[in-house]
Amino acid sequence: MESDCLTPEWASQPCLIGIDEAGRGPVLGPMVYGCMYCPISYQSSLASLHFADSKTLKEEKREELYENLKLDKSLGWAVDVIDPRELSAKMLAKNKTNLNGISHNSAMGLIKRVLDMGVLLTEAYLDTVGDPEKYRIKLSERFPSIKFVVSKKADSLFPIVSGASIVAKVTRDRALREWLVEETGEDINRNFGSGYPGDPETKVWLVQHKHSVFGFPSLVRFSWGTCTTLLKGEVEVAWEADETEESGNGSSNKRQAKLSSFGFKTCDKRSEEIESSGKGRCKFFQARKIQQLTQF
Amino acid sequence: MLELRLVQGSLLKKVLESIKDLVNDANFDCSSTGFSLQAMDSSHVALVSLLLRSEGFEHYRCDRNLSMGMNLGNMSKMLKCAGNDDIITIKADDGGDTVTFMFESPTQDKIADFEMKLMDIDSEHLGIPDAEYHSIVRMPSNEFSRICKDLSSIGDTVVISVTKEGVKFSTAGDIGTANIVLRQNTTVDKPEDAIVIEMKEPVSLSFALRYMNSFTKATPLSDTVTISLSSELPVVVEYKVAEMGYIRYYLAPKIEEEEDTNP
Repeated sequence: MESDCLTPEWASQPCLIGIDEAGRGPVLGPMVYGCMYCPISYQSSLASLHFADSKTLKEEKREELYENLKLDKSLGWAVDVIDPRELSAKMLAKNKTNLNGISHNSAMGLIKRVLDMGVLLTEAYLDTVGDPEKYRIKLSERFPSIKFVVSKKADSLFPIVSGASIVAKVTRDRALREWLVEETGEDINRNFGSGYPGDPETKVWLVQHKHSVFGFPSLVRFSWGTCTTLLKGEVEVAWEADETEESGNGSSNKRQAKLSSFGFKTCDKRSEEIESSGKGRCKFFQARKIQQLTQF
Repeated sequence: MLELRLVQGSLLKKVLESIKDLVNDANFDCSSTGFSLQAMDSSHVALVSLLLRSEGFEHYRCDRNLSMGMNLGNMSKMLKCAGNDDIITIKADDGGDTVTFMFESPTQDKIADFEMKLMDIDSEHLGIPDAEYHSIVRMPSNEFSRICKDLSSIGDTVVISVTKEGVKFSTAGDIGTANIVLRQNTTVDKPEDAIVIEMKEPVSLSFALRYMNSFTKATPLSDTVTISLSSELPVVVEYKVAEMGYIRYYLAPKIEEEEDTNP
């Protein structure tokens, strides 16, 4: 989702971008990365828009600011919504990507998207994920033409980041509100509270919606420690794939070959020499001694 | 009409024990030359080929070529009901859907008939390519069985290397490594205890011990086992069935992981 697909008129002017995230901590729902960008010349007017860290704003105020910034022709924005299933999958996959890695990739994806639209980005402001200096180096290497400012609490220091945080937060809240529960047949209510693992309402919801085999509805991030603890003692699932992998691994990096790769080929001589005993075949064929042939 | 009478009934019992772990269902093919079976394991890594020539039977009658699909587990259950000294006769009618195993006690005072339902099996009959083997090792079968059992407690893969010095079986696992070297030894009292190594070229191949261990179930059939190896070919582990034929196991080696096939 982004402001509009058309490249804004001011795209060729040097621009700055702010990036912030919403829903990193909660055990359920998507994680949303949002960005906002505008010409550097417009920066001074940004302050007058009263953007502040989205967490300090009331929900109605956030919605109002969001609707306003959508109308502002000098502002562009985009969001990246990361599905909880994607988070779980990446964090639990064999080659794991941790949450910081996912966050970095999402932020870089947003920058790339804006650059690809033809916007001339020269400065970027981000709230840090992990070590600020390492993050800054990683970003600078990927986008050498952009000056990066990575700092803690960027969302309260830079209005452009505050704007991005509003975009992200509103998108997440709406996504959660309008979440389509895919699991049918189970009674799923929406009283999951804030979604933070510490919230008693969230805890109760998780316990209520726990399934002994399938775990939780797909809204939940299975990779969170909270889930692991809750699912302890439930039904263990033995995966066939794991078993073959176990027997296949070991000390060497060798792969078990199949006989077919050594010229052990199916031949049809049987059908000529030996007739099928006809077990289990239709009486019609048996009585008439009709055989299946593949070669004549 | 099929009627095969085997005086040494225990032989058939042993044959079944040596293949039923590897293959669940298989077609037994009967022709005028003999009673045979060829089947692959479910993962298509190993193949077992059995031949019991007609001359080995006291009485062998096979009017037309017949292929009988059997569940080897069930067949083994029935054959377990035969005494070790019993004479076993296999009987089937053309076009029938059952096979009968008749067990006669040596003194002829007890006769048992077991009739088993046949099944229709889609078998892939494989052509086994002719190959020249670089190295052939003949050794006591119980020694080979012991080596496979011992190594599988350490690792899951055995590397069999044949050099001028002898044949080496080695493995590596989480707890450590193991190497067993056997040297050629023909100066023994009994010929079946000899270790004979015919090497044209040195070879070294890796195999899954899990399969090797299931092959050694054929140890009671023969005092010696012959292992034929060629680089980049499946190994052949052969047990002779006294004056009747053989049971041969083919096993595809484990090969180096190719980078580009890695997902």
